Amino acid sequence: MGELNTAERPLAPAPSLRELFFGMLQVALSAFGGGLSAWSERIVVEQRRWMTDEEFLTGLTVARLFPGPNQINMAVYIGANFRGLKGALVALAGILLVPFSFLMLLGLAYFYLHEVESVGAVLSGVVAAAAGMALSMGFKIAGQYVRDPVAVVLATCVFLALNNFHQRLIPVILVSGPVAMAWYWPRRGRAGARP
Amino acid sequence: MSLAIPLLLAADAACEPVKLSDWHNLLAVIWDFLSLSLFSLGGGNTLLAEYHSIAVHKYRWITSNQFADIYALAEAAPGPSSMIVGLLGMGAAWREGPLWALLSGIAAEAAILLPSTLVMVVASLSWSRFKDSPWRVAFERGMGPITLGILFAVGLKILQTADHTPLAYGVSVLVCFLMLRTKISPLWFMGLAGVLGGLGWISRY
Repeated sequence: MGELNTAERPLAPAPSLRELFFGMLQVALSAFGGGLSAWSERIVVEQRRWMTDEEFLTGLTVARLFPGPNQINMAVYIGANFRGLKGALVALAGILLVPFSFLMLLGLAYFYLHEVESVGAVLSGVVAAAAGMALSMGFKIAGQYVRDPVAVVLATCVFLALNNFHQRLIPVILVSGPVAMAWYWPRRGRAGARP
Repeated sequence: MSLAIPLLLAADAACEPVKLSDWHNLLAVIWDFLSLSLFSLGGGNTLLAEYHSIAVHKYRWITSNQFADIYALAEAAPGPSSMIVGLLGMGAAWREGPLWALLSGIAAEAAILLPSTLVMVVASLSWSRFKDSPWRVAFERGMGPITLGILFAVGLKILQTADHTPLAYGVSVLVCFLMLRTKISPLWFMGLAGVLGGLGWISRY
């Protein structure tokens, strides 16, 4: 990684709108095989020196905390930091242009071809594997909550409300959110139930 | 019933009167995506079950099987899988022809991204004032368990949507296990399962 070298090199001047667009385009293109987050760090921090590692990590924290897809939020964070709203929209366009166009082409192909028998057969396999990926999402983050009984109760209630009682997502979040926030509100003297 | 009908009527306004109900319809769809945007906790996959209920049950744009297909495509394609909204928009207007489908796809994606992007801009610019606030701490800690509960519900929903045979369930559970225990790229699992499906070994029913 050569962290020492990167840390010693001075930061580049704030990127222009055009540089933001092409930087994010480069991130999206490099990440065509996956690993968007790693590529984003490599290009923004190591190659282009727009941010320090620390600033980048702060950005990731903000991107994960707020609603929206994490990697897209990260692009918005980078753009907004340098050029405000305009920068955010330009960075967004840069990171979305290629993968979204590709997906739209894939979608057109799908809607034209999905009734072809062999295409349907291949898809029936792909779908089963993709469902496994969806199933793994919860397990992936479960480990950090199992020792906090309140978190387990909250997660269970949310799960039951959605799955067993067929409640809609927005009301479930609007009810459970304030309850959870009140419980986890930072208080002095309580060695928080932080996972 | 679709996103594009009102647009189409607007284009042909000279010969076809625009029905107010259609505009209501279009606005309702856009509102659905705009309002969901700010509830996409944990990176966006938490919305998948909601997308299913909107696209399959509420507006009947696509069938449940097609939803499973579209989800798989979005996972397999490069870039964030939350771009599935673009494919849903496309499905919504497919009957109106590919051009409308494309426009509708772009409109749906823009609607789901706009609110969260605006909030993210404000958050980015005011983070230094924000980061030690008790609201931030409570939000971050509180939303974690909620996200966990939603993700389990979403995983189960997708599983029920995608799989109808014991073998398909077996493949899904195996992939889930491998996703958690190995670092193998999921593209390999989807590729291999696709080949098995093509050979007729994994079928939908």
